[in-house]
Amino acid sequence: MSLPTARQADLVPQQRRPKNQFWLSSIGFVAPGVLLVAVVLYLPFLWTTYISFTEYNGLGDPEFIGIENYRDMFADPAFLNSVLNTLYWVVGTIALPVGLGLLIAVLSHGLPNATLFRLPFLIPYALSGVAVGVIWSFVLQTNGALSQALEFFNLPGSELRWLLDAPLNTFVMIGASTWQGAGVNALLFGIGLQSIPKEPLEAARVDGASGFTLFRTMTWPMLAPLTTVVVGLSIVGSLKTFDIIWGMTKGGPGRVSETLALTMYKETFVNNAYGLGAAVALFLTVVTVLASILYLRRQLAHSRSI
Amino acid sequence: MIARKIVLAILGLLWLVPVYLLLANASKLPAEFGDYGLWEPGNIGALLTNMADAWDRGRLSQGIVSTAIYAVVSPIIAVLIGAAAGFAIVALRLRNGFFWFVVIFASTIFPLQMILMPLFVGYAETGLFNTRVGMILVYTVIATPFSAFVMRNFFTGIAHQVFEAAVMDGASTWRIFWRIYLPMSTSALVAIFILQATFIWNDLLLGLTLTQSSEIRPVITALSALQSTYGGSAMSTVLAGGLLVSLPTVILFLATQRAFSRGLSLGQF
Repeated sequence: MSLPTARQADLVPQQRRPKNQFWLSSIGFVAPGVLLVAVVLYLPFLWTTYISFTEYNGLGDPEFIGIENYRDMFADPAFLNSVLNTLYWVVGTIALPVGLGLLIAVLSHGLPNATLFRLPFLIPYALSGVAVGVIWSFVLQTNGALSQALEFFNLPGSELRWLLDAPLNTFVMIGASTWQGAGVNALLFGIGLQSIPKEPLEAARVDGASGFTLFRTMTWPMLAPLTTVVVGLSIVGSLKTFDIIWGMTKGGPGRVSETLALTMYKETFVNNAYGLGAAVALFLTVVTVLASILYLRRQLAHSRSI
Repeated sequence: MIARKIVLAILGLLWLVPVYLLLANASKLPAEFGDYGLWEPGNIGALLTNMADAWDRGRLSQGIVSTAIYAVVSPIIAVLIGAAAGFAIVALRLRNGFFWFVVIFASTIFPLQMILMPLFVGYAETGLFNTRVGMILVYTVIATPFSAFVMRNFFTGIAHQVFEAAVMDGASTWRIFWRIYLPMSTSALVAIFILQATFIWNDLLLGLTLTQSSEIRPVITALSALQSTYGGSAMSTVLAGGLLVSLPTVILFLATQRAFSRGLSLGQF
């Protein structure tokens, strides 16, 4: 008997809480953002979800066909190959741009002229994916600049057809994306290193830790929250990769270097299979959201246990 | 110290090799391209000729005005909308403010691919397809969540007494936002603006999907088309075009790098 009474007592003061005198203007200030996002982002999300269960070519009315698009999608070897390529991109992007970004940040931290040393890595970040694609497809042409350099130094690999053979073309494009993305990760890790308190590091140094041991036992754990953010951003970013691939192979030759982002674009706007394209888009979204949630939950559980 | 410098310098030089190849080969006339080795430098005269070619015949000139408009107007509107949302949540203590913040911010998790097709169809039906207004609208909305994220965090750092004192003095909420909160957050506003302007300038996907004519198309989309049509025969023109459209963002980014990381480190994490 006492429990419900207690709850009621809890509720009463809340109901009597004076109204926020700014409630009207607070709604006015938040409304433009919420409305724009609702109309231009959420409404299309819902529509794409619906279209993925229909047959639709952009003309006339969509016809409901249940999960047939999804069945077609998973039966298509090109789609499965696209999933595999996307996986390469995720793994490669976590390993290379994040790892190199961390390395650059740690090496340049505290150096005089650190900004100067980081400069070469920041230039590519300001380029568009298409410009990166233009540069690297030139470098990687069969018998192009890279092959000539390898030949000149008598190194193996000059006969490779970098952009024509799979999965090599996906790997070299991940390389191009590393060239572009390592700098911004270095910038973010640099910000993180600056915010680490100096005293524990000094104490560890006095106790005799130095070099890699100091990094492994002190710096790395203290960077953990930032690493979570950088890796999370990289996962989401790599799942959406479009520009560099469009600028280098357009997913080809044939469809061998497509990722999900390209498959979606081609099904929708090249083949006019809007329903199938929507199904690919929804699949990509589910994977992205699941990956973010799983990753964040693991990271958060991990940081709690420390 | 020395070892660290050497490793960094070697890595840095390696990073500059593609930039060198871009510059070297963008400065060879297409007609003379075969006479040079790929690793040999060209000359400045040819670079300027190639750039002029990409600009005129490659039609980069037509997209550049539109792109500049998109990259300036959209981030400004987005920064203001994001700041207004942050102001409502933090200073005005909007009811369920965190929920509304999540509504705005969560939309960034979803891939752009989810909205492309409906936008294409919707734009075609409302007459926004292939218009500057349509492009400004979509870029503004794309830039809003991040802006709301940074501005909400930034405003959290401003003591609420500032707001209360201004209310005591009889200032309206609009005036407090416009005259007190915005001027106090210039560094964050600038950081968001730079990041989003760079993003919009470099965007390919939305330009490819929502525009058609060369005056409306963003310049990166034009570069991509230039690569497809000129690719084989006049590679140096394409490279010069790539260099040309990259200059604004590279200069902007490098010039503002310090201010930029300061604004972000205050706002983020």
